[in-house]
Amino acid sequence: MSRPLPPDFPLRSHLLPRLFEESRRAGWIAPERVAAIAYDLRIPAAEAWEVAAAYAGFYTSSKLTPEPACGWLACRMAGSPGDGHCQFRCYAPPASGPEDLFPAGMVRQAGPLLAAVPSGAHALQSARLMGRDRALEQVAGSGLRGRGGAYFPTGSKWRSALAEGRPLALVVNAEEGEPGVFKDRALMSLVPGRVAEGIAIAAFVLQPNVLVIFANGHADPALASLESALAGFDTGAPIAVYRGGGGYVLGEEGALLNAIEGRRPVPRTRPPYPVQAGLFGMPTVVNNIETMANLPLLFDDPAAFARTGIETAPGTRILSLSGRIERPGVYEVPIGTLLRDVVERAGPVVQGEPAVLMGGPSGGFLAASAFDTPLAPGPMHPTGAMLGAGGITVLDAPGDIRETTMAAAAFNASESCGKCTPCREGTPRLRDALAAGDRAMVEELGEILEFASLCGLGQMAPGPARSALHFWPEVFA
Amino acid sequence: MRLDGREVEPFGSLLDTILAAGIPLPHLCKDDALPVIGACRTCLVEADGRVVAACSTPATGVSECLTHTGRVTRIRRGVLELTRAMQSGPPSQTGGPCSAETAAALAAHGIEQARYLPRNAAYSDSSNTFFSFHQDACILCGRCTAACQDLQHIGAIGIAGRGLGARITAGTGGPLSASICTSCGSCVAACPTTALSPKE
Repeated sequence: MSRPLPPDFPLRSHLLPRLFEESRRAGWIAPERVAAIAYDLRIPAAEAWEVAAAYAGFYTSSKLTPEPACGWLACRMAGSPGDGHCQFRCYAPPASGPEDLFPAGMVRQAGPLLAAVPSGAHALQSARLMGRDRALEQVAGSGLRGRGGAYFPTGSKWRSALAEGRPLALVVNAEEGEPGVFKDRALMSLVPGRVAEGIAIAAFVLQPNVLVIFANGHADPALASLESALAGFDTGAPIAVYRGGGGYVLGEEGALLNAIEGRRPVPRTRPPYPVQAGLFGMPTVVNNIETMANLPLLFDDPAAFARTGIETAPGTRILSLSGRIERPGVYEVPIGTLLRDVVERAGPVVQGEPAVLMGGPSGGFLAASAFDTPLAPGPMHPTGAMLGAGGITVLDAPGDIRETTMAAAAFNASESCGKCTPCREGTPRLRDALAAGDRAMVEELGEILEFASLCGLGQMAPGPARSALHFWPEVFA
Repeated sequence: MRLDGREVEPFGSLLDTILAAGIPLPHLCKDDALPVIGACRTCLVEADGRVVAACSTPATGVSECLTHTGRVTRIRRGVLELTRAMQSGPPSQTGGPCSAETAAALAAHGIEQARYLPRNAAYSDSSNTFFSFHQDACILCGRCTAACQDLQHIGAIGIAGRGLGARITAGTGGPLSASICTSCGSCVAACPTTALSPKE
């Protein structure tokens, strides 16, 4: 850890940082080291072990050298032989070696978020001049919706948490664990001042007693960039920085909060919602990095923000494009832009027809016939495609469809946290049913996963399979 | 609220209200002595048209709850079939005091065998003097670990691993006899299967 946790953090909440440190030091986490860390933190060994063993990025049986090569879509298309986790550099496949700062040349289209930051932190000053109540109204009135992928109105989330009383926690989610998405890294690397100012604005309005930034375990350069920018801002509460051991399920707020608390990173049942009782039982706001980056825009030029995007979802969205295209990278576009425009700008290089996987392994495919769909919150197609966190992988249809569908199904099965039965038992069976071409079983399991799973990972896992069968049934015949 | 067509007073969670009304509903991970876990997903019902787990849904605020629509019964049965596929042997109830619960839920939904290939669940641990653990009957409901960690505050066992790799483990993966288990028996008392069974 680059900085110690604030002194009032409970002992158990040191568990993930200690495991992360040990994993970095030794390349793996031996059982006797888990027991020793547990002893230090006065946690039973079994409770530390279930945490250590839950993260895909922590090796608990032996050191793994070299790290498995990236096995996600763009890298596989570029010839990566690996089956490892996405390394979030789909813009330069095949990814290898440690991460670097996000390259400025990979910003293919910049908007207000990715444009160079004017110095001076005027937005924070404006917010302070307004006072907390009016600044809260400014955020709520702007119509800003959360950029983690669920698009919940940011102002409503803040109001709900503030209405619960104090103490209150703010958790900034920079875990970015969805394969094919690298926009948080772009923001932290290239415009850290804007992200830091956004965090300072959120901290001014919410006055959190606890402020956590949860960063992806591999994103060292992006995190260092953000931390140095944050040094120039007063955020009130000291900042606790957490690093993860990987895990798609950390996109679920309860799992993220459990991870910080030193518990097994599995979803929590709702209610209570995090805004009611979240981190350490406090009312908690969990916001994505890109949401933070939007906040200064609401104070610098609210009219421009309101003019961009669509009425129900103003602003821009940073898309992460990869796959069979000439110009991979990040594209910042107004929400509501047609998918076709973006794909054409990226320059598909395909033998058959271009197609996309939208929203990653929780989303779904769209064939070229459906490209005239606006990129907006909510379903983009009834079979699964959605904007989500803005990941778009361009594929060659039908050539890439089967392998991509199988990769998404295998990903969901391996990332299932194992807590609830439908997801744990259903995602591998969905993968098997797809491989066997058993369409009836895919549909049966799809319904169970969608309606019975505890969290979004299982609920949305059927999307790639359903959409592939809808657009290209012959591929699975 | 209206529950399966009759007027009832909402009471605690939907599950509490349903059970108080005498309507049978499986709830394999919800133990009276333990807080909500929400892992087994077998208490699914329709609340105002949405499929929800009854255990974690407050009854207040729901105006109509249906426990046996075609859709929710089909999905619940599907979850139970996936649950059955975790167990390799025939349903048995020769374990602790709750060990009949899973077999009863499976029987009530007419499930004898799952159509799925069995999962690899060969781990067992007979190192404790008083009870043994057999993974091939375990449905990972989490009641035993909740009883050990949150009720008894011992923490001898946990659930380690993700996805199909998840299983009940003692300490840092060793046998029960090498852990801090005090043989209190709370895990065996909570188990809704024969995975944790008293020794003869």
